[in-house]
Amino acid sequence: MSGRVGIVAAAESSPAITQDNMMDAVYKVTKELLNKVGIDRDDVGTIVTAASDVFHSGISCANSYYWEASGGFLKNASRQDGDSLFAFLYGCLRVLSGHFETAMVIALTKGSENPENDTVTSLYADPFYHRPLGINETTAAALQMRQYMERYGITAEQCALVTVKNLRNALFNPYAHIRKSVTVDEVLNSKATADPLTTLQCAPKSDGMVAVLLAAEDTAKALTDHPVWFRGYGSAMDTYTLGDRDLLRGTLPQAAQAAYTMARLEKPSEEVDVAEISEPYGFQELLWCEQLGLCAEGKGGRLIDSGTTHLDGRLPVNPSGGVLATNPYVARGLYRVAEAYWQITGKAGEHQVKKSVHTALAHSTHGFAGQSHTVVILGD
Amino acid sequence: MTKEYRTLHTTVNLPYELAFGATLTRFFDGLSAEKILGTRCPKCSRVLVPARSFCPRCFIDLDDWVEVGQTGTVETWSLVSYEYIGMAKTPPYITGLIRLDGADVSFTHLIGGIDMSSIDQVQSRLAIGTRVKAVWATEKPGSIFDIEYFVPI
Amino acid sequence: MGRAVAIMGTGQTHHGKRFDVSYPELVREAVQRAFEDSGLSPEDVDAVVTGTMPSMMEGIALNHLYLADAIQVVGKPLLKTETCGSTGMSVAHTAFYWVAAGLADVVLAVGFEKMYEGDSQATMTTVADPWIQRSFVAGAPGIFAMQSNMWIDRHHIPAERLREAAAVISLRNHDDAFDNPYAHIKARISLEEIKDSRIVTYPIRRWDVCPNSDGACAVLFMSEHKAKQMANPPAWIKGVGYRGDESYLGDSDKVRWNTAIDAAKEAYHQAGIVNPRRELDVAEVYNPFTFMELLLYECFGFCDFGEACDLALQGTFSRGGDLPCDPSGGVLCTNPIGATGLIRVAEAAMQVTGKAGAHQVDGAQLALAHAMGGVSQFNGIMIVGSQQ
Ligand SMILES: [Zn+2]
Repeated sequence: MSGRVGIVAAAESSPAITQDNMMDAVYKVTKELLNKVGIDRDDVGTIVTAASDVFHSGISCANSYYWEASGGFLKNASRQDGDSLFAFLYGCLRVLSGHFETAMVIALTKGSENPENDTVTSLYADPFYHRPLGINETTAAALQMRQYMERYGITAEQCALVTVKNLRNALFNPYAHIRKSVTVDEVLNSKATADPLTTLQCAPKSDGMVAVLLAAEDTAKALTDHPVWFRGYGSAMDTYTLGDRDLLRGTLPQAAQAAYTMARLEKPSEEVDVAEISEPYGFQELLWCEQLGLCAEGKGGRLIDSGTTHLDGRLPVNPSGGVLATNPYVARGLYRVAEAYWQITGKAGEHQVKKSVHTALAHSTHGFAGQSHTVVILGD
Repeated sequence: MTKEYRTLHTTVNLPYELAFGATLTRFFDGLSAEKILGTRCPKCSRVLVPARSFCPRCFIDLDDWVEVGQTGTVETWSLVSYEYIGMAKTPPYITGLIRLDGADVSFTHLIGGIDMSSIDQVQSRLAIGTRVKAVWATEKPGSIFDIEYFVPI
Repeated sequence: MGRAVAIMGTGQTHHGKRFDVSYPELVREAVQRAFEDSGLSPEDVDAVVTGTMPSMMEGIALNHLYLADAIQVVGKPLLKTETCGSTGMSVAHTAFYWVAAGLADVVLAVGFEKMYEGDSQATMTTVADPWIQRSFVAGAPGIFAMQSNMWIDRHHIPAERLREAAAVISLRNHDDAFDNPYAHIKARISLEEIKDSRIVTYPIRRWDVCPNSDGACAVLFMSEHKAKQMANPPAWIKGVGYRGDESYLGDSDKVRWNTAIDAAKEAYHQAGIVNPRRELDVAEVYNPFTFMELLLYECFGFCDFGEACDLALQGTFSRGGDLPCDPSGGVLCTNPIGATGLIRVAEAAMQVTGKAGAHQVDGAQLALAHAMGGVSQFNGIMIVGSQQ
């Protein structure tokens, strides 16, 4: 690795369901990012976008359609599918390779235009076996949740508390989609989706455009007084067939360990100042916290009860409101990075955590019961 | 292959509701009123059709609306003779790129009103450089087919 | 610039209509062959890059999830690179940058498609914007027919000469495919049959068009220090280039096609190539249509603008000529789209390591691989060589 790569700036679209078409929405967030840094399209070395194609937008190979909107005319650019932390890594790799000084990473999803989340996620399933049986991300998560509660004595109230906490945080985030205060009772009594999951424990379907500018060390320092460095990355895929997996012992510990090793973190539960974790289903924030080593195995429920992960806690988790508040499916990983960046630079506004932040963790997941996990460590 | 293995016949059918956005809404409103609208880039001076909200090359906002000509020059074309599921038109049809008078990029549409029974028939009426004009649909569907096709003049 | 990267093994399926295997089984066939070719095993791999055409092709979304076991990525990091027709090339580029950046030493790149399971032209039409172009583009043949017609008009190519040159290209690819055990279409056809075949989208005729194929390709990329510990010969990555232009087909000139010209220039610059026709020994040009192959020769500087037909007729791009192109039979005979660009890279690597068998170009040391995609928007290049 030749030197470091840093985040110079980030931009997020407004949360409201936008009436802009995809192309215009992408242009706006890209332009906002360039304006923030005070550079032109011509100054950008390369671009990596993240968006799922046709089932998530009605447009196949979607980067053909929004190529010029992301500033790509006559540029060497590329795209990642499924998870925008993949695009974040690819942007970092392109800079670290020495081939490009700067990289824009842009993630986009227009949930408002799409079929229901699970209409799409059921199409991740093979057509022969899982799909006809109704397996999708929600039903798979429900199977995982029941095991989790059973094995560790995690209560329904503890799971519901994640929604309560995250939606409360979202009240302070102008970019959040769902902004309302809810109680544990309201969460538990909301309509059942796939038992034990209820509607308020499942992420919504949101519009979201987010962009970050990456630069090689010297360029980053020239472009901003407060670069945030890419310090660690870990990612791991699990096996596909649901019945072949232990849903409570997935690949997240492995992904986390790789990221911590690269970032030289020895005690992540003490060294990570804030974490932005993808929790498309409320209980997953607790389970993922355990598997990220932020608390001991089986202690996820106690972690949230103790207030540790609250906005003013010792280790705030999802101060932005997380995925339960805002879920632009493919873009949600890069939202975690943008939020972590703002926490480190002190620019998170009303949802800025009380403690000082030097090291932040961003996590994303997709697939049934967390088949894919990615962890990024950022620091100043 | 010695043994015939089974295959599964299945269909995926998904509904979408796609936002036109402000700029394309105005462009399609224009078509309903039998006007073809573009936007001019103040930096490179190009008139882009269909209208764009930004210039792909200069990467700046566009808001200078221009009505371009309903006549233009064929830049390229193809007689489409094959068929597949989901095709918007039933072949044979001619698809073309047309440089409308007053525009700096080419516009994709159909070329019609001529005999398409053979390539020779088509070539007797159509070549790159042929002048064409828009034929408006009498019943406007509120889509790109508000223009039925472009006919050689 | 970055670390040196080499290709240390390739694997391809027998491409064709593969209803004898499920999608994961098809993919696994290529992955296993790459491991056999390299002498590596899955434990040696640090990371995997994969990609396909869009979900509609097989009706499965985010298929890296379903195929995770087949691509041997369980417990490992993955990138899922997709850029339409150029996906396979972009997958190769991703693997290259991953190793060059120093965050992995061994990266497995896998591309695949099972095109007999869906409707490819319907799928490709949904690449175009939903407002305007989708109603007109008529899949890939429609777009490329329009581009070909522009090229013919610009260079005033007489119809008969054009048909002859396209037929020569078609015949050469179909003949070469007989020397490639993995090629899909193996058809003995005559020049006359090609010239008189039915029109698909004028000027494109039946034998000017690539097939739909089921197939997969896997390529192992390795860092310099690891590659030098291996017994088998490396194919060094000498240059990579990629460019894209607007989604509206009418916005950019597609004859003097800047994305092709600039992508090649970027790669030539890195590889130190000044005269591509003289310096390259072989090229695997992404040629789903005969006319596109001719147009691309000009954009890549294999000849001057307007010269491609004449040189093709003289045999310049045939085996034994100045710069043999697509000795594998090319895309014209094998096209599992998500794999197609990666097959070009694999074939180029096979040529410079002397592993191409019956379609080996003698003594090949420097090879170009290419793929394109989008609404005739994207061009990607990778140049590989036997010398570092
Ligand atoms: Zn302009």
